[in-house]
Amino acid sequence: MIRSTPPDCEPKSTSAVPQRQHVLVVKRHHLLVRWSHWLNVPILLGLVLSGISIYWSSPVYQHKPNPTTGNFDVAADIGIWICAHVPGLHHYSDPPDWIYNHLSLGPGMLALALRLHWLCAYSFMLNGAVYVAGLVLGGGWRSLLPRRTDVLDALKMFRYYIGFPFAKLLRRKWLHPHFNTKYNALQRAAYFSVPVAGCLSVATGWAIHKPMQLHWLAAMFGGYNAARVWHFWLMWLYVLFLVPHLILVVSDGWDTLRSMIVGWSTRVEPRAAIAHDH
Amino acid sequence: MTTKKNSHPSEVAKSAPMKKLERLIAEQPSQKIQMAPTRLHQLTRRDVLLFGAGALAALAGGGFLLPQDTLSRLGVRRDMDPPAKEWFLNKALRIDDDVAEALYSVNRSVPTYTKSQITPLKNNYNGATPGAGYIPGWNLTLDGLASGLSISLDIGNLTTRFSSHEQITRLVCVEGWSAVAWWSGLRFDDLLRAYPPMSQAKWARVESSVNLDASGNPDPYFMSLDLATARHPQTLLATHLNGHPLTVDHGAPLRLLVPVKLGLKNVKAVTRISYAAEEPRDYWAERGYSRYDGI
Repeated sequence: MIRSTPPDCEPKSTSAVPQRQHVLVVKRHHLLVRWSHWLNVPILLGLVLSGISIYWSSPVYQHKPNPTTGNFDVAADIGIWICAHVPGLHHYSDPPDWIYNHLSLGPGMLALALRLHWLCAYSFMLNGAVYVAGLVLGGGWRSLLPRRTDVLDALKMFRYYIGFPFAKLLRRKWLHPHFNTKYNALQRAAYFSVPVAGCLSVATGWAIHKPMQLHWLAAMFGGYNAARVWHFWLMWLYVLFLVPHLILVVSDGWDTLRSMIVGWSTRVEPRAAIAHDH
Repeated sequence: MTTKKNSHPSEVAKSAPMKKLERLIAEQPSQKIQMAPTRLHQLTRRDVLLFGAGALAALAGGGFLLPQDTLSRLGVRRDMDPPAKEWFLNKALRIDDDVAEALYSVNRSVPTYTKSQITPLKNNYNGATPGAGYIPGWNLTLDGLASGLSISLDIGNLTTRFSSHEQITRLVCVEGWSAVAWWSGLRFDDLLRAYPPMSQAKWARVESSVNLDASGNPDPYFMSLDLATARHPQTLLATHLNGHPLTVDHGAPLRLLVPVKLGLKNVKAVTRISYAAEEPRDYWAERGYSRYDGI
């Protein structure tokens, strides 16, 4: 069974149990944090896909109708451009719908998209509550709080990540910046901002869903139409977050991924002990 | 303000509650635990299998809930459309309707605007716009009244009998667009007082018999409205838009204006209002949209 021992009472090599039969682990993420993290995958996917289907019925970004095609939707223009310029798509049957056919449930299904969007939106709010409960119960919230030194440290991390592929190519040593916290400053900024964005998405969602009963909420975002724009761009923030999030978890390796599934990590020392001094 | 040697001024300035707060928010070192490698292996295998089962369940859930149109694009064919799916999605819709109903208050006004904030209002008739031929013979019929009678009123009766109210409010469409317009007309509440519905009535069925489908064939439009909303002081039976009598595009000679509901409840060219104890049928609810539509 699991034995919990403070670090200073670790069995020494003289102990009866040989050390190689044990592995040191730390608990990285609370069960509720892990559950809500993974539940966000289908929920956010459902929200984005149904959301873009809803967007189709009245696009935020419009221009005067094109005199020949009658098209007024910027997303349709992008679809037409993609089909004209991407090899293999020249014979795509419906270029104006390309975006909606590939990034949403599909065009022309507003009623269904709305029903799925409400289902996912209520699930998202419940899931957010589960996530917060997990942060509180596991004490993980402390690791997410921004610190005074974060701006400079985040820039250092950014420089590290940007330079990393070039350093690899040039076979040059490229050292990971020091830190002795659970997350580095850039991670902390991301993991703190995404839940904040989640709250803003929920708030703007309510503002455009109930613009009369909650008109004060719509007013906080600059009115009904502005709240729609907020809601739209907050979605792209998740997409923007997802790209480095996936790249980094894959490059960081199995231990990081396992810690979000199983909860344990065998990386018991802070990063400072791994990286050498500059 | 250095008081002690070798101590940083800012440290001294820190008050006790501040230090307490810092201790509270400081990251605590995670406890290292010794574990047998086989145990970690077992736990990992158990949770990864669970995770895989969850991922498969999510995929199955997606296949169950998504429309065939979407699945076809992924090369998936689902030969059945389970009734449980409709039930489940409708359940989510009902929860949302219940929330909307709980948010509604007859005493809460919707925001009003100034004339400079008026925006263009497009004709969003579902289907073709009817020709003006119906206007001379137009009547509003009231059914389900306490008197048991069926009353027929022409536009002259309505405008002379009831006082006119005006408001500049936002009309919000289920599609997402909205328009600020200046409306005037009689209050639905005044009509309810003048011709009280039967005592057990909780609903109004608001109908337009002149609506057409896209190819121009008759397609009567009917919509359910709870009487609590009908009694809202900003719920009008509008006769004027932006200072002029309603045009055919906007539902001449009388349209329902209910700013606390989505635009689709704002029936144009209303020809009949029937009061009922049970929730009446609703054109868009039958096409997969919500039935309460409170915003």
